[in-house]
Amino acid sequence: MVALPTTPADILPFVIAIVTSHAFITIVFFPGFIHLMLITMFLTWYERKILARIQLRIGPLYAGGPGGILQPIADGVKLIFKEVMVPYKADKPLFLGIPLALVFLAALPFAVIPFGQNWVIANLDVGIVFVFAVTSLFPAMILLFAWASNSKYPFLGGLRSLFQQVAYEIPMWIATLSVVMLAGSLNLVDIVNAQAKLWFIIPAFLSCVVFFISIMAELERLPFDLPEAEPELVAGWYTESSGAIFMLLFLGLYMKLYLMSSLVTALFLGGWWGPAFLPQPVWFIIKTIFVATLIIIPRGVYPRIRVDMLIRIGWSRLLIIALVNLFVTIFLLSTGILASWGL
Amino acid sequence: MSLVPPDLIFVILAAVTIIGSILALQAKELIYGAVALAISFIGVAGFFVFLDAPYLAMLQIAIYVGAIVVLILFTVMLVRRGSLDEMTDRAEGGEGTVGLWLAGLLAIGIAGVAALAGPNLPTDTQPASLPVSSLGPVLVTQYPVPLIILALLLSSALLGALILAKVDK
Repeated sequence: MVALPTTPADILPFVIAIVTSHAFITIVFFPGFIHLMLITMFLTWYERKILARIQLRIGPLYAGGPGGILQPIADGVKLIFKEVMVPYKADKPLFLGIPLALVFLAALPFAVIPFGQNWVIANLDVGIVFVFAVTSLFPAMILLFAWASNSKYPFLGGLRSLFQQVAYEIPMWIATLSVVMLAGSLNLVDIVNAQAKLWFIIPAFLSCVVFFISIMAELERLPFDLPEAEPELVAGWYTESSGAIFMLLFLGLYMKLYLMSSLVTALFLGGWWGPAFLPQPVWFIIKTIFVATLIIIPRGVYPRIRVDMLIRIGWSRLLIIALVNLFVTIFLLSTGILASWGL
Repeated sequence: MSLVPPDLIFVILAAVTIIGSILALQAKELIYGAVALAISFIGVAGFFVFLDAPYLAMLQIAIYVGAIVVLILFTVMLVRRGSLDEMTDRAEGGEGTVGLWLAGLLAIGIAGVAALAGPNLPTDTQPASLPVSSLGPVLVTQYPVPLIILALLLSSALLGALILAKVDK
């Protein structure tokens, strides 16, 4: 902690000390605000490019840079200057406030995501529970936004989104449980440190699969994008959003995509561990972008599933597989087999 | 480490919790009431963080805000708007009187229990790190008074819910 300045001459060194402090850098630059914004903008461009390649198109091209990489900036500028249309008899405070809350909630869990041994904003002892507590607020926000739109299609989409996210939280949490048992800690830094020798995807492979499928449902990605099924619901729960509201919603959604991918990296893919020729955060970001790619690709490949299939997969497949992996983990831990593998 | 005095944090958290719960009761639009309830719950979670129980705080947010408020929102949205307007206009004397009686009884009960057992409350404020299995015995042997007050609160809430849910004829 730096002493508060007393004379005018002390102010400049005081400001420099604050700006160069580790806390300031982590919050504002690297795992914090600026890095999040840049990666989120990159992901919107990246998804459009990948989908274009799958469908034998070219994708964004004209907005400067190689492959139109400045497209997100052009989109952002365009959306900010567009008119925000609030639907007739909509609930104005909620309609305008929820998108801001959504972005805030999507950015908040990055405080505990460890991008490197020292590149974490808050080394919280209950890190993974914090992430789940904050992400469990998303369905409520989406339902409120859908209700505030005062329109049928957003409301139906919001209800579907609520049910889907609440239902798939259960296999997601149980899949995480086996990782927590393997690491013996709820702290994400400790969980990644425990994977120095063996990534948890090997002893907890089934959990990784269950977790991956669950986050695809949480993110409403194809084949689980029932809440925004275009033929039935126009665009789902964000049908009525326009201009800056639409931009904020998409910022929140893509930030959540990055958040969930980084969770897979931290829980199963060994976090920042990798050969030493690249710094730790670079490994973390490479793995996270890889997971995000795996989440994006099915959007260009698979059709949407039906509601009954969604329920059957969630309750009678994923939940059981996650429990089986939990028992396998208990068996491995209690018989001491894992100790011989270097855990 | 901390930049602000702990009393200020306590006052802010208490203000958020109490104002949230008052708004939850007073809101004309039931949806706003649910949102205020969520804010009040987050204030309670802040108290848990303040008391060095972050795990409890996270569960408070995940369960109360993430699940119970969602349930309330969902229930409110299933009720048609027209019937909600009728409900807010209803002005009958019965419920208010019962509520006052309940609140008075509750206040007398809490004051009595606190006055009887106040001097016997353990004074050490140092939070001991306890295993979860010993939580129950400690609760009934060391802290019976807060437990009784909580039980009174819960039962009065249950009675109030019964009165509110009573269908007239």
